[in-house]
Amino acid sequence: MLKPGIFILYLFSFLICQAQNDSINNLQVRRINLKLSSNSSVIYPGISAGIEFPVFQIRNQTWIVKSVSRSFYRSRYISGNISWYHHPEFHDNLYLTAEWIMRRTRSGGFISEFSCGPGYSRTFLSGTTYKVRDNGAVTIIKNAGYSYALITLGGGFGYDLSMKKKIPVSVFSKMNLISMFPYNSTLYFRPVLELGVRYTPSHN
Amino acid sequence: MIIILITGCQKEKISFSDNASDVFYVENEGAAMRVLVQGNTSSKTFILIIHGGPGAGAFFYDTKFITQNIGDKYALVYWDQRNAGASQGANNGENLHLNVMVNDLKKVITVLKFRYGEDMSLFLLGHSFGGMIAADFVTSSDNQYMIKGLINVDGSHNYPLNDTLTREKLLSVGQYEVSQNRNIDKWTPILNYCEAHKGNFSFEESQQLEIYSTDAENYIDSIKHINIVSQVLRYMISDKYPLTAMLTNLIYSEDSNFNKELAVTQFSTSLSKVTIPVLLLWGKYDFTCPVALGEDFFNRISSTDKSMVISSKSGHYMILQDKDFFCNEINAFVQTHR
Repeated sequence: MLKPGIFILYLFSFLICQAQNDSINNLQVRRINLKLSSNSSVIYPGISAGIEFPVFQIRNQTWIVKSVSRSFYRSRYISGNISWYHHPEFHDNLYLTAEWIMRRTRSGGFISEFSCGPGYSRTFLSGTTYKVRDNGAVTIIKNAGYSYALITLGGGFGYDLSMKKKIPVSVFSKMNLISMFPYNSTLYFRPVLELGVRYTPSHN
Repeated sequence: MIIILITGCQKEKISFSDNASDVFYVENEGAAMRVLVQGNTSSKTFILIIHGGPGAGAFFYDTKFITQNIGDKYALVYWDQRNAGASQGANNGENLHLNVMVNDLKKVITVLKFRYGEDMSLFLLGHSFGGMIAADFVTSSDNQYMIKGLINVDGSHNYPLNDTLTREKLLSVGQYEVSQNRNIDKWTPILNYCEAHKGNFSFEESQQLEIYSTDAENYIDSIKHINIVSQVLRYMISDKYPLTAMLTNLIYSEDSNFNKELAVTQFSTSLSKVTIPVLLLWGKYDFTCPVALGEDFFNRISSTDKSMVISSKSGHYMILQDKDFFCNEINAFVQTHR
């Protein structure tokens, strides 16, 4: 009986927290990030590269009880990405996205983030594509595929090595759901798992 | 690397072997339709499968058993119709019509002959809704002479008649099952519905009858019940299913106005034009396309070389429910007429 009681108390612990925020807009840490990740659907390969521009970054300090506080960085980025995945016998998809990223980095280095944004996709069919003309002549279409509008939503976790070890790198995993339309007059959606690193050049 | 991979995938690959597996696409009126040619292409004998649906896709027909028992002798051609399976396109929904699909089929055949030679022997195998495309194809102009023979497996060629026969079959089998005290609670709503809706079916009534016909198969103990989920799980990785595309294509096609067009479509009156060899394979417990529908097809065609064989162990999905029977009948028919 005691364990569920403690658990319930934990769930509602935010009610007894002293919600005093100490916010600092830390301009010194507003640095761009370069990103490189695998971009797979678990069994199919892909790769993604991007650059993140900081919009703002605030250090928050939250008092849990009088003597214990937690600090974290709340940051917002705009990112530009170029991504690709290969689904054999279906298509290759090369797509560009612009994302709005909401990221929270704890003082210990743990990162959680959410992102969303629009994009543009160009698929390339995974097979020779033929066109039959009205006179019966058969021709091959070069670079056959389609252009689609794209929306991406994603969320993930990571670890920022710079918080404790001063290494300007963070590692992350992020699940994105990309939706392409109009795909056969409807939409095509695909979960894509990113596993990668972000590097923050020190001189920017 | 990416550019090399992309261009490499689009390089033309034509295999003549006893274990070929070629994928290519045929573009027509806004749709790029995936075609998988699998099996013994050296035989120069091809069986083109026209899947059901609309929107179901050809992946579900590509089973290990069929590959081992038909594909070892002949090549199987799995064509994903427009807005189905792995077929791709942009804003192409306005082209989802039966006449466009028949034109798609003609173009797929033209490409097959371009790739594997004009001297190939080609057979069409239409299942369920695929029977409707096949019926339209073989009764239009001189199309039937592009193929050596037609195999109709639980296919429909007349949707209004189909509805009437589905209702009759549900009533007759349902009443018998109830008299035998089998699944009374399941059959009662079906029987009540059929008693209340006697004919001139609206589109909604037609759809309800189709739902009941699918349910009814599950209440017959003597046939193998199909579990699509386990089928998908079994083949989704090895066959590289584009699962989400298959799903959205199926939902779109099932909800499309195209189905209203189909609900009033029939080819019974033009079947007398058919003179090529025809094999009809039917499941005794097929409620979706009852045996009587096959008999209508059989009686109306002018072919002198025609036969109809009933499987007592299957419903609408003979390909999965009575695999040995299915493969043996097809192999015998193709062997005779190739």
